[in-house]
Amino acid sequence: MPEASTGSTTANPPRSLAEALRSRDDVALAALLHARPDLLNPVPGDVTQLATRAGTRASVVRALDRLDRFALQTAEALAVAPDPCPYPVLESLLTGGEDEAARAALPRALGTLRDQALVWGDEERLRLVRTARELLAPSAQRPSPTGLGPTVAEATAGMSPTRIQEIVAAAGLPATHDPVSAVSALTGLFTDPERMSALLDEAPAEVHQVLERLVWGPPYGEVTPNPTPPVRWLRDRGLLLPATARTVVLPREVALHLRGGLAHRRTAPLAPEVGVHREHRPQLVDANAAGQALAALGTVEELVKSWEHAGPLVLRAGGLAVRDLKRAASTLDTTEASAAFWVELAYAAGLLAGDGEADERYAPTPAFDGWCELPPAERWSVLASAWLPATRTAGLVGEQDAKGRTLSALGPDLDRSAAPEVRHRVLDLLADLPEGGSPDPDALLDRLAWERPVRGASDLRARLAHWTLTEAEVLGVTGRGALSAFGRALLRRLDPAPLLAPLLPEPVDHVLLQADLTAVAPGPLRRPLGDTLAVLADVESKGGATVYRFTPGSVRRALDAGHTAVDLHAFLAEHSRTPVPQPLAYLIDDVARRHGHLRVGAASSYVRCDDDAVLGEILADKRSAGLGLRRLAPTVLAAQAEPGALLEGLRAMGYAPAAESRTGDVLVARADAHRTPARSAPVPVPDGPPVPDATLLGAAVRAIRAGDLAATAVRREPASSGGGEVPAPGELPRTSAAETLATVQAAALTGSAVWIGYVNAEGAASQRVIAPVRVEGGFVTGYDHTADEVRTYALHRITGVAELAEDQV
Amino acid sequence: MNGPLIVQSDKTLLLEVDHELAGAARRAIAPFAELERAPEHIHTYRITPLGLWNARAAGHDAEQVVDALVEFSRYPVPHALLVDVAETMARYGRLTLSKHPVHGLVLTSTDRPVLEEILRSKRITPLVGARIDADTVAVHPSERGQIKQTLLKLGWPAEDLAGYVDGEAHAIDLVEDGWALRPYQQQAVEGFWHGGSGVVVLPCGAGKTLVGAGAMAQAKATTLILVTNTVSARQWKHELIKRTSLTEEEIGEYSGTRKEIRPVTIATYQVLTTKRKGVYPHLELFDSRDWGLILYDEVHLLPAPVFKFTADLQARRRLGLTATLVREDGRESDVFSLIGPKRFDAPWKEIEAQGYIAPADCVEVRVNLTESERLAYATAETEEKYRFCATTATKRKVTEALVRKHQGEQTLVIGQYIDQLDELGEHLDAPVIKGETSNAQREKLFDAFREGEISVLVVSKVANFSIDLPEATVAIQVSGTFGSRQEEAQRLGRVLRPKADGHEARFYSVVARDTIDQDFAAHRQRFLAEQGYAYRIMDADELLASD
Repeated sequence: MPEASTGSTTANPPRSLAEALRSRDDVALAALLHARPDLLNPVPGDVTQLATRAGTRASVVRALDRLDRFALQTAEALAVAPDPCPYPVLESLLTGGEDEAARAALPRALGTLRDQALVWGDEERLRLVRTARELLAPSAQRPSPTGLGPTVAEATAGMSPTRIQEIVAAAGLPATHDPVSAVSALTGLFTDPERMSALLDEAPAEVHQVLERLVWGPPYGEVTPNPTPPVRWLRDRGLLLPATARTVVLPREVALHLRGGLAHRRTAPLAPEVGVHREHRPQLVDANAAGQALAALGTVEELVKSWEHAGPLVLRAGGLAVRDLKRAASTLDTTEASAAFWVELAYAAGLLAGDGEADERYAPTPAFDGWCELPPAERWSVLASAWLPATRTAGLVGEQDAKGRTLSALGPDLDRSAAPEVRHRVLDLLADLPEGGSPDPDALLDRLAWERPVRGASDLRARLAHWTLTEAEVLGVTGRGALSAFGRALLRRLDPAPLLAPLLPEPVDHVLLQADLTAVAPGPLRRPLGDTLAVLADVESKGGATVYRFTPGSVRRALDAGHTAVDLHAFLAEHSRTPVPQPLAYLIDDVARRHGHLRVGAASSYVRCDDDAVLGEILADKRSAGLGLRRLAPTVLAAQAEPGALLEGLRAMGYAPAAESRTGDVLVARADAHRTPARSAPVPVPDGPPVPDATLLGAAVRAIRAGDLAATAVRREPASSGGGEVPAPGELPRTSAAETLATVQAAALTGSAVWIGYVNAEGAASQRVIAPVRVEGGFVTGYDHTADEVRTYALHRITGVAELAEDQV
Repeated sequence: MNGPLIVQSDKTLLLEVDHELAGAARRAIAPFAELERAPEHIHTYRITPLGLWNARAAGHDAEQVVDALVEFSRYPVPHALLVDVAETMARYGRLTLSKHPVHGLVLTSTDRPVLEEILRSKRITPLVGARIDADTVAVHPSERGQIKQTLLKLGWPAEDLAGYVDGEAHAIDLVEDGWALRPYQQQAVEGFWHGGSGVVVLPCGAGKTLVGAGAMAQAKATTLILVTNTVSARQWKHELIKRTSLTEEEIGEYSGTRKEIRPVTIATYQVLTTKRKGVYPHLELFDSRDWGLILYDEVHLLPAPVFKFTADLQARRRLGLTATLVREDGRESDVFSLIGPKRFDAPWKEIEAQGYIAPADCVEVRVNLTESERLAYATAETEEKYRFCATTATKRKVTEALVRKHQGEQTLVIGQYIDQLDELGEHLDAPVIKGETSNAQREKLFDAFREGEISVLVVSKVANFSIDLPEATVAIQVSGTFGSRQEEAQRLGRVLRPKADGHEARFYSVVARDTIDQDFAAHRQRFLAEQGYAYRIMDADELLASD
């Protein structure tokens, strides 16, 4: 027997969840609120409110999603067990009486469920909260993970009493006088192992094949109107019960008998072990990771710097164009996926952002300059601390969202709230290994899947875990798959920089100049030195060291940036450990000699005159100040004013200038006949819309007919005629929300059609005739006669509903 | 954590030569990394897939490579690079070429998906025959080279275990009377012989012919030697008679003038690639005897048709010799895949330090064009520009001044343009050797130069290669084949034979300032600069002033 966690064996067992919660101590309540923080928002007024909120669908779904696999399996077993369920029954559902591991793990799993207020009641009467039961119990729409079907009682709910009597007779039971006792007789038979075995022993061999197919679920099978003999044999005896006209279901009791009482084919009582797959020396791991960390710093810096001038444009929908991502990838000499990671990392660390201009571009932020000034280890810790809690997931870049739009780097919809939690969990698991140990990634993924089994199809968590492993490796949090010492510090919220710093190369303040016009910096350069050198020479190779190559182009770039040849010589002499090679000195001098030899400027017009005295006169004249004149040569003035304005100005000063053409001829001013550039004649625009084709016409007619049906449907008076008056045909029906719900639910039960008024998300009102199939979660799903397909409508958007007269559909 | 090696993220390795562990590090990385540049302080090696695969072929594994990098590295090595190294090396040997007793040459795979992948390649399909079983496919024996080359390009290099034919045996021995193979030559011969086939890279003047002779003495089989021209063929013959047990009668010359096929046959590339009516009639030379060894002299000049034919000779041992394995057409990798990987490589400066080649002083003389020349240059047609600036009258004057400066020393003036050379010959009163000079005349002039009867010789590019002129001490280059790096190196090589009195050689390159000539010169000098030859720059005006 497990330890009773909360007052389970007191004299007065609790009668409700609220009561059970009330009897818990403060620690237990705090634990509940810790595990399910959504209950705190807002803080419940009293325990009753807390219990109510803990029972809401959203909250229960959230809690179930966070259960480990075995706790979830336990909850699933409870959902198919009788309510309330005694402990031994639950135990046998999970263990089949044999599975010792499951038996040992059950108290813990049950404890988890209790802590989370998903299960309450004492050992004799374990109760799964109703919402959880509804969520986990098998129903026609949602098969249970257990693969079990409905109970006999549930499956025979809508069956005619005569049919039930036939089944009872076929099963070899005495006839009863009412359906209820018939069903319980049948249930009794199915739950009695001996009689069941006897019954099945009689069955033909093919029957067992049919049962084998259904026993572990899904329990539903399709049948033809003329079923095969084994199916008929089963159906006659109630071992298969009709679910719909064309399907049969294996009742839960029968399946359990065949399974030997097990709710799950396989239980997973124990968390899969994440062991050491490879072992490396911790120093080696740290050194490798530090190497990677250094590379990461270089990559981020190179990326952000490459966007310093004319960075990529921000797409209108936000994010980076695929072309720009490709360009970034080629700049970084890496794949697009990894470029996306670096871009997102720099963005998460606040090193780059949109500049907010009209033509918005991405550019480094002021924080980038500050970041560059930091020592390398601290720079890394900025990146790593931005990465760890980030919800943006670069791994999604390039995929398509639900609407078929491609997700772009830096764009919207990349946030995945599970990312930081998965990242932490993965790193925690790595941290649990001994230093230098790296796990088998598959074992790690298995473990994560056990801790948070996925209900539904999404494998996002597994992908997040996978991305975490690769990203941690390229960032240097791990080395050779094992967590580095500074990665460990990061995880423990300690400052990783002091651990990382000694592993990173010391910045150097000198370079080695060589005669082949290269310079090698044998380590990362101190700040201003590296920047100046990057202007003066082209970077040829990067890594721990940097190789620079001097070319005429690079020297010219330095001269353009305002350095002089003398500066450059002094700079090289100062920072070189080796004498400056003569060819390099010559290169600088040669380029400098020719630099600025030709001067280029802009002028709008010019004045030339063979008599330089006249030009001197013009320059001296105050009235010429507005023309922006400058003497370029004795006989030439350059002007900032347009030629027309210059002519006017000179004429106003009393000169008689003549305009010159491009070739130097004197222009004769004469009014020219004006012509437009080549233009084509306008295309005629016909009046009215184009003639519709047959397809369009057919569709239009169908739409009109369907709308007609909705508008002219004859409605019955609402049952509770206290409601509003019946709307005139063509008008939207109006009913209260409660009434709407009741009517659609009733229609769903009877399978009849109703007439609804509906306002869609864009605010457009329409009338439709629908046959509701299912009403749940604020939505009604039904066959829409107007649209001729199955659709789902939000209940709150239904303005009103009216039943249709019998003969309408 | 203070090693001599810096591992860069672009897979280059920087080796600090003055570091105390530099020698050990060099030995550790040499098997898998290519020496790319060897200037004064920091040598650059590069890790390439080809280098890694060659290391695998030579019996090194990824663990050794990673260990070497990690052990000698000054800074932590990025993990991604190590992973890449391991993955690249793991690609080697999944496919093997071997001899099958029934099916002849077969390609076998230990990794079935790889075999499936490559068999789906359009380039492989025509090279293979029937599928023998799930892991084996027959290969046409004649496509052995082609399939290796193609597999290399596909990234799945095949390990060639099919071996070599011994060829027709023929006794060849080195006659080491008063001389012996130098240690590096010995290493080169051994490196080649263990590898089976490959390329040996040695500086000009370092005795590549002797490496060839050593290889022949190892093979002791009939040998086909391919050389660049007839003069070079005669020199080979001369050297072989002198250094080996071979006699004049055993060595044949297969050239434009003579067509002898003997146990050792020396043929020129030119005669092999002569095309008549769309076929190469002389390529059958390869099949004319059961050659045990094929020697390619100056392998960097290997012409395209010979490439193609070499692909079919994969069962014979092949040795390529070169000083400068840089090809301006970028076909270095074809040389490696067809002839074989680099088996031995010695930096020029290392051989110089051992005293086997003469130290050289390289000087770039910058000539200022006169004003009228500059104007004429500016208006010249683009395709004429180089010719114009390379042949200006100012250059001629500077060249004359240089010759005067080195009066009494054996001087070669080397150029590209015949009229420029003729003019120089006239002014310097020196004979000119050019394409149209007959072989007999050439040999006569070279002999006279060797004997010291002539002290200045003007030569065109016919003398770029394989001309053995031990006493030349000064070379003046006035023009060249645009930016050809290997031409520059070969021309320097003409003066690198160690001098009797041990004095250093001089190499002048006369360059017109501020013209395209200067750009080409910068490119030409790159190979030598990367080998550690620091060019000194001299202003022509100073030279003329002191003259």
